[in-house]
Amino acid sequence: MSDTPFRVRVCYSKTGNLRFVGHLDTQRLFERALRRARLPLRYTQGFNKHIRLNLASALPLGFISSSEMLDFWLDESMDEQEIRQKLQEALPVDIRIIELGYVDNLLPSLQGSLISSDYKITLPEEETGEVFQQKLAQLLAQPEIPVTRREKTLDYKPLILEHSLQAVSSDNTIVNFKLSSTPGGNARPDDLLELLGIDPADCVIERVGLNFSSNEG
Amino acid sequence: MPKNTISLIEKILYSVEKPGRYVGDEHNQITKEWDSVDVRWCLIFPDIYDIGQANLGLAMLYQILNAEEHILAERSFAPWVDMEVELRKHQIPLFSLESKQSLKNFDILGFTLPYESIYTNVLNILDLAGINIRSTDRRERDPLILGGGQACFNPEPMADFFDAFAIGEGEEVSLEISQVYRDWKKTSSPRSDLLLNLAQVPGVYVPSLYDISYHPDGTIANMTPIQPGVPDKITKRIVAALPTHPSKFVVPNVEIIHDRMSVEIMRGCTRGCRFCHAGMVNRPVRQRSVEEILPVIENGLNSTGFEEVGLLSLSSSDHTQILELTKKVHDNFHDRKLSFSLPSLRIESFSVDLMDELKELKPGGGFTLAPEAATERMRAVINKPLDDEDFYQTVTRIFENGWRTLKLYYMIGLPTETMEDVDAILQAGIKVYQIGKRLIGKSVKIHLGIASLIPKPHTPFQWLPVQSPQLIQEKLDYLKAGTRRAGIKMSYNIPDSTLLESWLSRGDRRIGSVIQTAWEAGAKFDAWGERDNLQIWRNSFTTNNLDPDFYAYRERSLDEILPWDHIDIGVTKRFLQRDYDWSLVGRTRADCRNTCFSCGILDAFGDQRPPETICYWGCP
Repeated sequence: MSDTPFRVRVCYSKTGNLRFVGHLDTQRLFERALRRARLPLRYTQGFNKHIRLNLASALPLGFISSSEMLDFWLDESMDEQEIRQKLQEALPVDIRIIELGYVDNLLPSLQGSLISSDYKITLPEEETGEVFQQKLAQLLAQPEIPVTRREKTLDYKPLILEHSLQAVSSDNTIVNFKLSSTPGGNARPDDLLELLGIDPADCVIERVGLNFSSNEG
Repeated sequence: MPKNTISLIEKILYSVEKPGRYVGDEHNQITKEWDSVDVRWCLIFPDIYDIGQANLGLAMLYQILNAEEHILAERSFAPWVDMEVELRKHQIPLFSLESKQSLKNFDILGFTLPYESIYTNVLNILDLAGINIRSTDRRERDPLILGGGQACFNPEPMADFFDAFAIGEGEEVSLEISQVYRDWKKTSSPRSDLLLNLAQVPGVYVPSLYDISYHPDGTIANMTPIQPGVPDKITKRIVAALPTHPSKFVVPNVEIIHDRMSVEIMRGCTRGCRFCHAGMVNRPVRQRSVEEILPVIENGLNSTGFEEVGLLSLSSSDHTQILELTKKVHDNFHDRKLSFSLPSLRIESFSVDLMDELKELKPGGGFTLAPEAATERMRAVINKPLDDEDFYQTVTRIFENGWRTLKLYYMIGLPTETMEDVDAILQAGIKVYQIGKRLIGKSVKIHLGIASLIPKPHTPFQWLPVQSPQLIQEKLDYLKAGTRRAGIKMSYNIPDSTLLESWLSRGDRRIGSVIQTAWEAGAKFDAWGERDNLQIWRNSFTTNNLDPDFYAYRERSLDEILPWDHIDIGVTKRFLQRDYDWSLVGRTRADCRNTCFSCGILDAFGDQRPPETICYWGCP
C-alpha cells in the first residue's frame, strides 16, 4: 500500500427515481457501489473506518442533475478506464459517469472551492416566458429578497448571479439561473420559484453545472 | 397504473418525508414483464419501508418466487402518515415498488405478520388498496389475501381479514399455493373453489371454512370444519433442509433499520426457555454449515456492497461449528473493513471467545447478554438455568477483553416472581457496574433492558394470566428509582403496549371485530407506541361487548380449548403442560440436543429428516 493515495474525480449525472434519494443516502449509495466495484479503496483512519469519499455539493431532493462531482481515493493506481467501467457497472442506471480521472492530491476539496451552481428549470406549461420574466423583473427590482429556511434568513438578491430565458422549443418555457453556492450564501432555485408563485413540484429542476474557484482549474 | 397517475405520484413525492421509500429502483431489485407470468405476488410488510425492507423472510420469499419463470413477486409497505394523506386526497390506490401497479391488480397479496402490533396496518393497507377488509366481502376476482409469519401461529385475531394463512415456514408452501392459484386461475370456477383447494394444501389454513361456538362463559366450545375435506388441525410447514440462502439482496437507497446483510446461520433453538415463543414454534433446530455460509457472505458482499453483516439465529453459541465460523469469517473478511454482529450469545466464557474473533470486525460495539431473570430460582422457573458465578465470570471476561458497554436483558412479571426477584435484577446490575468500574474505570456503561412477560400461545406459559399493570408498574418504578441512583441506564416496555400485545396475541376470532373497530377509530402504527391508542382499543372492546381482561388477566384452565389449539406446531399440548407443571416447582429441562424429551417434533416431522450431510438437525 502506497502512503500517498490516488485521488479520483468523477463527474456524473443523477436522474430518474434517484432524484428522490437525498444527499446522505446518495453518499451511502456511492460507498456501496464502490465496494461492489471491488476497487482498492482508501479508508479514513480511526475507530470507525469509512471510505474516503467527498461529494462536491448536496443536490436537493427532487432535483435531477447532469453535473454532479465527487472525489474518492484509492490505495493503488489503476487504469482510469477500468475504474470507470467497474464503477459504472456497480451503479444504478440512474447514475451515469460522464467523466472520471485522476486529479492532484494537493487540490483543495470540492466543497471548499465551490462558488456557484447552474440550474436549468423547465417551467409548467401554463407559465409563459413573458409572464415569468415580468414576475422575475419585479422580484429583482426589490431592494432585498429575503428567504427563510430552517429559521435562517438570507438575502437572495446578491446570490442570483445570472439568469436567462432559453429559446422556447417546446410547450414549456425553460429558464437558466446561476446561483451562489458558497457556505455562507447558498441559494436554492426552488426557493426562488416559490417567491415567483410557482410550485417547484410542477417544474423539472436540473443542475447543469458546478463552478469552482479558479485555483481549482 | 395510468401515466397521469404516475406523474401525480411523482408530484406527491415532493411533499412527503423520505420519498425514496416509495420509488423502488434499488440495486438488485427484480423486475419482470407484467404480462409474461401467470401468478403475480405482492409481498407486503405492513409497516413502513424503513422497518420492513430488512426482513430476511421477505427477502427469501422474494428470491424463491421470482426464481420461477411463471411467477413475479414485487414488494409494498405501509405508507407513512404523510403519504397516506396524499394518497387518499388524490384517490391513488396503494401500489407496488417495482412496477407501480395498484395492489388490487395482483393475484396474491402475501402479508408477513412478524408481530401483532402490526395488525391494524394490514386493514389500512387493504383499504388504501381499495380492497374490502373482510374476506367474506371480497369479490370473485379480488386478490387472494394471504398471511404468514411468526404471529400466525395464532391466526384467529386476524381470521376475518385473511382468505388464507400459511402456517410455519413459507419457502415450499408459497410455491404450492402459487400452483393451486395458477390452476384455479385457468378455470372460471368461483373463489370459494380456490379457498377449498387451498385448504387441501398442508399447512394452509382457510379460516372461513371453520365454525366456532362458545360456552356461556366465553371460552370456546367447539371449532369444526364446515365442509368435508377440510382438516381439523393444521400442521405447520417446515423445510426439512434449509434451502439455498439468498445473496443478491435488495440494497435500499434510503437508510433503513438493520441496514445490513443478514445471513441465517441456524433456525430454531433447543434450549426450551419457557417464555420463548420463537423457541417453541421454530423447532426442529436446523443449521447451515460453514461451507454453506461463507460463500453466501462472499457473494452477498460482492453483490450488495453492504458494510455490515448480521449472522442470525436464536442462539448463535449453539451452532455446532460456531467457533470455526467466526475464525473463518475473520480470516476471509478481516481486510474488508466490515462489521459483523453475532446476536443471542449464551452467557458463558465461550461467547467472549467468539466475540473476540469478531472484535476486530466490530470496533466499538457493545456486548449484550440476556439472563432474563436474576435469581437462580427464577431462572429455573423459566428454564434458563445459569449459575451466578458463571454469570459474573463472563461479565468479568467481557470487561477484561475491552468492552465498555454491556447490555443486560431481564424480564419481569414472571410466574411465582416476588419483589426479591425484582430487587435481584437491580442488585445484579449494580454488581456488574462495580465490576466494570473496577476493571475499566468510569467509562463503563451498563444498560438494563426490562421486558414484561406476555404468556404467548404455544409456550408452556400459555395458560398464565398477564400480570396486572399496577403490579408491573410498581416493579418498574422500583427498578427505575434504583437504577437512577446507581447511575445505570434502564429501558423498558410501557405496560400499555404490553397489554395491547397480550390481547392481540392471545385472542380468539372475536378480537377481529375489536381490531376493525379500533382501526376505524384511527388506530394504526400501534407498534410505534408514540400514538396514544390504548383508549381507542378499550373503547373498541366495549363497542363489541367484549371484556379485554378476559384475554389478558384470566388464568386459563388446562382443559380449555385455546383459540390456537387447531394450529399444530409439532410440539404437543401435553408436552407444554408437563413443562408448565415442572416450571411451577422449579424443575429445569436440559438442552434437548442430547436427550430427547419427546416434545412431539420428531413424531410430526421425523420422517422428513434428511441425512446429516444434507442438513444438520439439533434433535438427538
